[in-house]
Amino acid sequence: MVTKSAEKQQPSPSASGKSATKWIMTLLSSSLGQKFVMGITGLLLCGFLVVHLAGNLLVYVGADAYNTYAHDLHSMLLLPVAEVGLFLLLFAHIALAFKLTSDNRKARHISYHEKQSKIEEPPSFFGKTPMGRTSSWMFLSGSIILIFLIVHMIDMKLHLNPAVTYTVETPEGVIEADPYSIIVQVLGSWSAAVYIIGTIILGFHLSHGFWSAFQSLGLNHPKYTPWIRKFAILFAAVIAIGFASLPIWGLFIH
Amino acid sequence: MSETLDLTLRVWRQPGADVAGKYVEYKLTGISTHMSFLEMLDVLNEQLHAQGDEMIAFDHDCREGICGMCSLMINGQAHGPDTGTTTCQLHMRRFKNGDTIVVEPWRAQAFPVIRDLVVDRSAFDRIIEKGGFISVSTGNAPEANAIPVPAPVQETAMDAAACIGCGACVAACKNASAMLFVSAKVSHLSTLPQGKPERSSRVQNMVAQMDLEGFGNCTNTEECSAACPAEISISNIARMNREYMRAKLCSKE
Repeated sequence: MVTKSAEKQQPSPSASGKSATKWIMTLLSSSLGQKFVMGITGLLLCGFLVVHLAGNLLVYVGADAYNTYAHDLHSMLLLPVAEVGLFLLLFAHIALAFKLTSDNRKARHISYHEKQSKIEEPPSFFGKTPMGRTSSWMFLSGSIILIFLIVHMIDMKLHLNPAVTYTVETPEGVIEADPYSIIVQVLGSWSAAVYIIGTIILGFHLSHGFWSAFQSLGLNHPKYTPWIRKFAILFAAVIAIGFASLPIWGLFIH
Repeated sequence: MSETLDLTLRVWRQPGADVAGKYVEYKLTGISTHMSFLEMLDVLNEQLHAQGDEMIAFDHDCREGICGMCSLMINGQAHGPDTGTTTCQLHMRRFKNGDTIVVEPWRAQAFPVIRDLVVDRSAFDRIIEKGGFISVSTGNAPEANAIPVPAPVQETAMDAAACIGCGACVAACKNASAMLFVSAKVSHLSTLPQGKPERSSRVQNMVAQMDLEGFGNCTNTEECSAACPAEISISNIARMNREYMRAKLCSKE
């Protein structure tokens, strides 16, 4: 994880350590180095998605299983550290997305009158234009996911969704509602539509992002790359269907 | 039996580097389907010349598909609709009677338009100057088997060396990225034993120059490889990423 520790050193290089950090700064300011960080953070965030999905699928087991899981998770001492790490990963991924996209727009300062893809693909809604491919709108899908994440944080972390009751009255006084009742309320309301759209867009983002990360990290091999590309589609489908099933369950089945 | 085509051409006309350009429509009649695309432009230029108009400037040299001089974005595709071919090898039989053909120059910040359809691709030359070579003391040709190179390695290097430096990868990429070009040059030399001594400095210097020239970043859309007349694979881009990381993290340079 040389790249991550390097990130922190970048803004304030000490006078004596200038030559020692110079190569790290050149690395992180280069196009390849930034794509490398993009790939690493993307894959680590994929790891988070797996754990997050596994935990959330416990709602299908029952309220007790889900509440116990949520309680145990939140009583872990190192959870805040993990959350800071996760936030830093997200921040690096998003900040670099804005930086790299702005560079890319500058590089193609005048757009074409007409643009057609030469890649052989089944006919899509967009015809022969490159826009038929998920790789062409990673920034857009990423932006939609960011908006979804903000809504998700308001619902589940900040407890600010006006349609949800986050407290219950008990004989001992007003206490916080259990996580299961919160998730049922959120996923049973109009927010469910946001969750379905958000997670499906996430699937499209992953279907390109997952294998693309390997390519950016230089991990391309005639034996493994075809499998990585197939796995990317499978992974994206499992994550998207897994997460999208929750609001569908909340709306129609629960 | 030769058929003829009547065509409408919409061509980007720009009198000079710092002058505004615009699309101009030209009607062409009786174009033979046996003509190459460049010959069709020659016919148009002869007509323009006869009328006393400025001829359309476009790049061309060998007209055999190997020099990498011709360019042109034809109906939104670098080197026209065919795969694995250059504009000079594109024939008019590929078009239908009555077609409108849009002809644009390569569009990239790093490839400024000089005039009409001609762009300045010297950014590629400056990248090559930074490491697209091997430093050897010349003399008698060495004995052929002195340095063994396994056939698969030769194949990999030759596939990368097929790059003719035309810039179609930059033109087709939505980010105007030059990764396919640079990676082909890096792969060609770093896979061969003769290129190994300068392996680390080469990739670092070439990538630094590529960034300096203002090319975009790779988002792995694969448009470059699909548009490439030499059909250079994107596996070269992964190799360059690997070479770059190896050089940055593991070498002393």
